[in-house]
Amino acid sequence: MSTSGVASISARPVVRRRHPFLARALPYLLSMPALLTCIGIMVPFAMALWYSLERYNLAFPTTRGFIWFGNYVSLFKDATFWNTVVVSMTYTVLTVGLELLLGLGIALLLWRRSLVTNVLSVALMLPLMVAPAIASMMWKLMTNANFGILSYFVSLVGVHDFKWASAPQSAMFTVVMVDMWVYTPFITILLLAGLRGLPRQPFEAAELDGVPGSFVFFRIMLPMLLPYILTAGLFRMLDSIQQFDIIYSMTQGGPGDTLMDFQVQAYTQAFIFTNIGRASAILMVLWLITYVLSNVFVKNWLRLRERARGGV
Amino acid sequence: MNDKTTNLFSDYVAGRMTRRELVTRAGKLGLGAAAAGMMLNQAMTQAMAASFDWQKYKGKAIKLLLNKHPYTDAMLVNIENFKKLTGLDVTYDVFPEDVYFDKVTTTLSSKSTAYDAFMTGAYQTWQYGPAGWLADLNEFIKDPAATAPDWNVADILPGLLHSDSWSGVPGEPLGGPNAKQWALPWGFEANSISYNKRMFAEAKIDPPKNLPDLIEKAVKLQTDVKGIYGIGVRGSRSWATIHPGYLSGLVSYGGADFTLEGGKLKSAVNSPQCKAFTKLWVDMIQKAGPKNWTNYTWYEVGNDLGAGASAMIFDADILGFFQQEGTKEAGNIGYQAFAANPDKKDPTPNVWIWSLAINAASANKGAAWLLLQWAVAAQQCQFGATKAKLIDPVRQSAWDDAEFKTRLKEKYAGYLEQYTASAPGSKIYFTPQPLFFNLTTEWAASLQKMYAKEIGVDEGLDKLAESVMGQLKDAGIVQ
Amino acid sequence: MNVKSVLRAVALTVIGLFFLFPLFWVVLMSFMSNADILRNPPSPFFSPTLHNYIALVSGELHTNVGTQTVNYMLNLFNSTVLSAFSVILSLILGVPAAYAFARYKFRLGEDMAFTLLSFRFAPPLLVLLPLLMIFQSIGLYDTYFGLVWVYQLITLPLVLWIVRGYFEDVSEDIELAYRLDGHSWLSTFFHISIPLAKPGIAAAALLSFIFAWNNFIFALILGSSGVQPVTVGAFAFVTASAIEYGQVAAALVFSIMPTLVLATFTQRYLVEGLSLGAIKG
Repeated sequence: MSTSGVASISARPVVRRRHPFLARALPYLLSMPALLTCIGIMVPFAMALWYSLERYNLAFPTTRGFIWFGNYVSLFKDATFWNTVVVSMTYTVLTVGLELLLGLGIALLLWRRSLVTNVLSVALMLPLMVAPAIASMMWKLMTNANFGILSYFVSLVGVHDFKWASAPQSAMFTVVMVDMWVYTPFITILLLAGLRGLPRQPFEAAELDGVPGSFVFFRIMLPMLLPYILTAGLFRMLDSIQQFDIIYSMTQGGPGDTLMDFQVQAYTQAFIFTNIGRASAILMVLWLITYVLSNVFVKNWLRLRERARGGV
Repeated sequence: MNDKTTNLFSDYVAGRMTRRELVTRAGKLGLGAAAAGMMLNQAMTQAMAASFDWQKYKGKAIKLLLNKHPYTDAMLVNIENFKKLTGLDVTYDVFPEDVYFDKVTTTLSSKSTAYDAFMTGAYQTWQYGPAGWLADLNEFIKDPAATAPDWNVADILPGLLHSDSWSGVPGEPLGGPNAKQWALPWGFEANSISYNKRMFAEAKIDPPKNLPDLIEKAVKLQTDVKGIYGIGVRGSRSWATIHPGYLSGLVSYGGADFTLEGGKLKSAVNSPQCKAFTKLWVDMIQKAGPKNWTNYTWYEVGNDLGAGASAMIFDADILGFFQQEGTKEAGNIGYQAFAANPDKKDPTPNVWIWSLAINAASANKGAAWLLLQWAVAAQQCQFGATKAKLIDPVRQSAWDDAEFKTRLKEKYAGYLEQYTASAPGSKIYFTPQPLFFNLTTEWAASLQKMYAKEIGVDEGLDKLAESVMGQLKDAGIVQ
Repeated sequence: MNVKSVLRAVALTVIGLFFLFPLFWVVLMSFMSNADILRNPPSPFFSPTLHNYIALVSGELHTNVGTQTVNYMLNLFNSTVLSAFSVILSLILGVPAAYAFARYKFRLGEDMAFTLLSFRFAPPLLVLLPLLMIFQSIGLYDTYFGLVWVYQLITLPLVLWIVRGYFEDVSEDIELAYRLDGHSWLSTFFHISIPLAKPGIAAAALLSFIFAWNNFIFALILGSSGVQPVTVGAFAFVTASAIEYGQVAAALVFSIMPTLVLATFTQRYLVEGLSLGAIKG
């Protein structure tokens, strides 16, 4: 018999509160330090916002001046900007989608505890521990046409001249693969922790009742896991849409403009072309997109929580 | 260090002994090559001290920002001698090249006083100079109180010195009358062919004489020799792809990045000569270039030559130089000056010049100048050329040095001949303007698209010209 | 053996290969000389050498253009210090805040939570240049304190949202029961709430450590050689004459060690389902 059922019928036991003011202030006291520590970032953020409204190129100090939304207007008129949007979105959708699927699959496989799964759980975290920039360097070597072990394997099955990251058609595939290699463990860890925290009762009951596996999965497990899936998806989305290390390390955004996503484009503008105004504008757009998307994720996450709290 | 050894080196420096005698006697005193080199430099440094007040800024401290590079190593080996000579405290930070220029840009743009002097290339000064981040070195060079009388600025190859100076006005040439000396040349690279002698012997052919000849021979080599590709050139989406072989060949065919029309810049990347050359270039890569060409940087090009994966490279001469030691093909590398155009006899190598510059925000410019002076002094250049890898040296006296010539003849056969043939035409062929990196990065991206057949050569170059002129207009450089 | 377990085994093998083979190859490479690595075609047969590891530990890199010094051991130390302190700080700040958001519905609660998350949205490159100037003027450039503070942007949101999810799952009833027994709120928090959320806290701590460890751009721009972590330090093997893949491989192996140790340690906590079953069942 579940205790939560009893508790919801009778009135909640009252806990004596000795300091009512303190009790009301408690949540704020608990969360304020975190907020205060990070609030400082508003200052550089405001500065960057200001830059995006200026014509600001380090190599042309005399032309620095306020131009309101001039940078943004020229961005939206520029075809390369829209290419950047497409590249970033494609990359994000591919990596988040594929990683969620693969991560969930692996978490399910590792759910049952045995020696093999325990060892694998730790071992599969290893790729995550490699800095993406270095992972990219290693994958670049492995896919090298002359010395790369992967190119060699692929040639063994008869595919010669696979261009990996050096051809427009296969470049996205290659960097997505590197991203999956590095970050799927992130999702696996989160989902595994979630899976292992799930109550056993519903599953035991379903097994007793002879409920088919797919029903259990889609109607019982998945809804319970959804908050974790959303959290994992949210953070991966934030990372992927801002991806820099992997792509820059591999191809600097090439071949051509195939992999010029937001931060690679902004980096090129800021550090190589010294055009700070334009780079800031690009990144403000990125920030805005990220804000909107995250809002969607969080709203859904909260909705799920509400539902979980309200019903059983 | 005892007196006997000190006197030995001082005697040599004072000219009382020949080099052979020095080597013999140093050996007798039990000095290894490295120690001998250090002490010789020490003696030379002490001799320098006699002619000029190096101790002017005694007690001050300077900090250097350096790139991880053999030139840096050559300097740091003797840095203690410099400290003794000047009484300065010298500290330094070394960053890997991939991230080095990020560090420089952010440091200079934030007007930080953290670093007094740093390494840079000539092209970067076209951004840093107009931005006001660099000190004009002319005020030191021309000031007799600031520069040692025997420093001999004329000994520095004039083409290099000019290439590091510019007035900052787009349209005005390098080294013109109003030019400011933004950096001091320290070591440079001319672009030529470095090839694998063994493979060429196997295919029974001579090194290529011009571009069409190169394409033919590259194709022949990869058919005759198993498991290699013919010609290695850079192809990454970066300015670094344009300035070595590509631009050198382009100039040979009569192309240029800009022309001057009525004193104003006009993009010339879509001239008929550029188009003709670029078509050949892309064709060359498609037929005989590396498979991952769009990922190829300096490292991949060099690695492949040294590991025997390519038959030749058209890139910096020192890249081929570095592959002659410690690699699989060590000892097999040959060198050849190269004029891409069959109708031209003389090579037109574009050069890359590693230089030293002084941070305009530095509080110790005078002291920093002492370091620059010392690093590019005849003694240091000679040391770097003979005992370290500060190649190609920027001073004529280093090239005339007997020991350097012997070193080249013994281990790097053909290198000196390559240099002598390349030298007259070696300079920076780019037109100085602050949007240099915009132009060259986009140019590289365009080449990548042409290689992948996403766009035709003619159309690609036309688009590039249009884009460049648009950017110049936005920046207020042209109307 | 039925079909299901065969499929399971196959799946696990394929997954294991995909994720672990590259690392296996990297470990192999760390024992190879550069000439062996750059061999066409690549071969698993080679004469092993400890030269790469020795170079890292001794601090001297012998290449074909001379000897260069590397400070990889210092980089490892820096990375450990930076990541550890960042995570500790994030836990101290984040766990109580996560508890507040999970347990209490207070005004501005959701807004504050979202604001804290939104700090993660700021693309690093956006705030980097202004941050550099600010840091230089207040003297935080090239300091542990400065970087640990900046790393909060990465680690704090992660800790917050993961641990919050965990607290939401933990039923209040046990806490209520404990308090009814006469214990103070503080005592409840430390003796009941935190232990119950251990798997979540462990996961959050481990992941934050990893993300802080792998950060590259902040350390590069806002720090100099004093605080250089392994991510920037590994590029030192990309020398002008060649990329010393052997040393990069060895550096990679070294860089995984501390995180691996932490992961093995927290694995215990990730595995514990604890008394959750007792409450909900």
